[in-house]
Amino acid sequence: MRRLSRFLVGGLLYVALTGASILMSFPLFWMVSTSLKSLEEANAPRIIWIPSQVLVEAYRSVLADPDFIRAYVNSAFYAALALAGTLLSIAAVAYAFSRLNWPGKNLVFALMLSTLMIPAQALIVPQYVLFNELRWIGTFNPLIIPGYFAGGAAMVFLLRQAMAQIPRELDESAFIDGASHLQIWWEITLPLIKAPLATVATFLFVAYWNNLLGPLLYAQSTKLYTLPVYVATLYNINNTVQPWPSIMAAAVLTTVPLFAVFFFAQRFILESVVVSGLKG
Amino acid sequence: MKDSPYLFTLLSTAGTLVFIIVTSLGLGALARLGARLAGRNRRIQEETFAGYMFAAPWIVGFLIFVVGPMLASLYWSFTDFRLGRPLEVVGLENYARLILEDREFRGSLVNTLFLTVFGLPLQIGAALLLAVLLNQKTRGENVFRATFYLPVILGFNAAVLLCWRLMLNAGNGIIDQVIRALAQASPVFSYVNRGLIYIVEVVNGFFLGLTNGNFTLMNKVLAEGLPAANRVPMWIQTPLWSKMSVILLIVWGCGTMMLIFLAGLNAIPRELHEAAEVDGATSWKRFWKITFPLLTPYIFYNLVVGMIAMLQIFEPVYVLYRDNQPLAPSAYSMVYYLYQATFRFNTIGYGSAISWLILIIIAAATFVQFRLQNRWVEYDVR
Repeated sequence: MRRLSRFLVGGLLYVALTGASILMSFPLFWMVSTSLKSLEEANAPRIIWIPSQVLVEAYRSVLADPDFIRAYVNSAFYAALALAGTLLSIAAVAYAFSRLNWPGKNLVFALMLSTLMIPAQALIVPQYVLFNELRWIGTFNPLIIPGYFAGGAAMVFLLRQAMAQIPRELDESAFIDGASHLQIWWEITLPLIKAPLATVATFLFVAYWNNLLGPLLYAQSTKLYTLPVYVATLYNINNTVQPWPSIMAAAVLTTVPLFAVFFFAQRFILESVVVSGLKG
Repeated sequence: MKDSPYLFTLLSTAGTLVFIIVTSLGLGALARLGARLAGRNRRIQEETFAGYMFAAPWIVGFLIFVVGPMLASLYWSFTDFRLGRPLEVVGLENYARLILEDREFRGSLVNTLFLTVFGLPLQIGAALLLAVLLNQKTRGENVFRATFYLPVILGFNAAVLLCWRLMLNAGNGIIDQVIRALAQASPVFSYVNRGLIYIVEVVNGFFLGLTNGNFTLMNKVLAEGLPAANRVPMWIQTPLWSKMSVILLIVWGCGTMMLIFLAGLNAIPRELHEAAEVDGATSWKRFWKITFPLLTPYIFYNLVVGMIAMLQIFEPVYVLYRDNQPLAPSAYSMVYYLYQATFRFNTIGYGSAISWLILIIIAAATFVQFRLQNRWVEYDVR
């Protein structure tokens, strides 16, 4: 009797988990399914789970759209450049906070943590004026350069926690051998925290790739549109029939890099979020 | 040079790197000088140099991109500054206009309040439910966990949000089609559906009334009574539903909160549950007497972080309603309004006042939550 009820509970649990998984991933399934439909099926007033005929027409038309390709190149260019600088500067600052002792460290660290409380939008308006003074509106600079100054206190904190776990003797012995801090940082510390670095890199990439408000404010011309801004313009409320298959094909192509990154890094991410309690 | 945006940015980046290296060395040298003047030994001098050199990027960036802009915007919030025009100090006029006159700002405030009051508990509840399910340690736990977290990674990309726009279509969107099919198949579901629609529309009508001081929409819903049997939610079609779509998206993205709860559940000692089980407590009772109290610190954390995130919501509102002018004001979030109001005419002074008001609201709400936590958060049950 007891075994039977345990079996039933286990079964129910699976049903619940599977049901929740279906609900959570349904938008992604629907995105892919719609992208492979014909225009009629995509706008049909009845439920069509899977296209009766798999069409790649939508992908062909999206990939032939020069604006989409340019947006893709823009997104890749900006995300790669911003990611490189942000990751490097964050790793440097985390080193200062975890491996070095210097007067004023605690005060500076407290200041950095307090910036977590400042909502980004409090800074949007004055930063816009600053970038306007610098003649950076209509360029990629406002999206990239601020990151080079270790933007993202939460990420610094995550790397600092990881670095703090490395035994001190490693630095000490290298120091006695005459290595500089720059060498210790690059050759000893960073190779030992590859997993946290991958986690931070993933979070930063996702944040840059998904960024909508920044490019909206600063890109200004269609030449500089990144993917989220461009894809959002594909839907036009004045269309009598929305070209859903090609919109969704563009959406699938936009999310492929996110999928790939998450697939490779998910093990690290899920653990470090639990450990540090930080949001991506 | 701006003809090639890529080249311009590459050169700017190189310039930035040079600037960072120079300021880092400069700040480090300055700190070392200070240490030497204070009479510290050589070892400490060197470590001071290194510490400031490594921390310099953040310190310099903090001054340029945070402290400077915030002080400037505090000043501008008392002026009528517009880009390209001389500014004039106007005192508290911006704030007075925002609080007393600006209908759209008040609307965005009420909308954000609505999202926080109704969306946040739903989001936290969904996260808790998923975490408790996962914590039963079934096979395939990792796959389920990754699936539940995936919306956090993908969810706030405009591309995925557009897919929601497709699914939420009231005419032939898949969500309403499924609801319609279920309602036809099962009378019980149909009644539940109609009841929920009624409640949602009354509540939303009430909040819309709060926004514009006009309760006719709510009265109309009340007068019509229980909706007709073939009614489905009008997700992105009417002001009565525009905020519910945003809430749906928020609940979908509960993965981060779920991971936090999982950490909390893992921290609960097994012996507590085992002892209670021996005493004959049912699992329902054990959840409310053991698990839930021990989770309150994690609920508190999610509440604080979730509230700050909720007050900053932008992307879903933009993608769902950006081109839908008659509907948009019923879903404006504070940040969306800030974006609209400031950058339409580059009214920096007014925008600065908005952002400072948002900052004050967030700070006040966080402060209140910290003050109230003693009443319900249990840190020392163990």
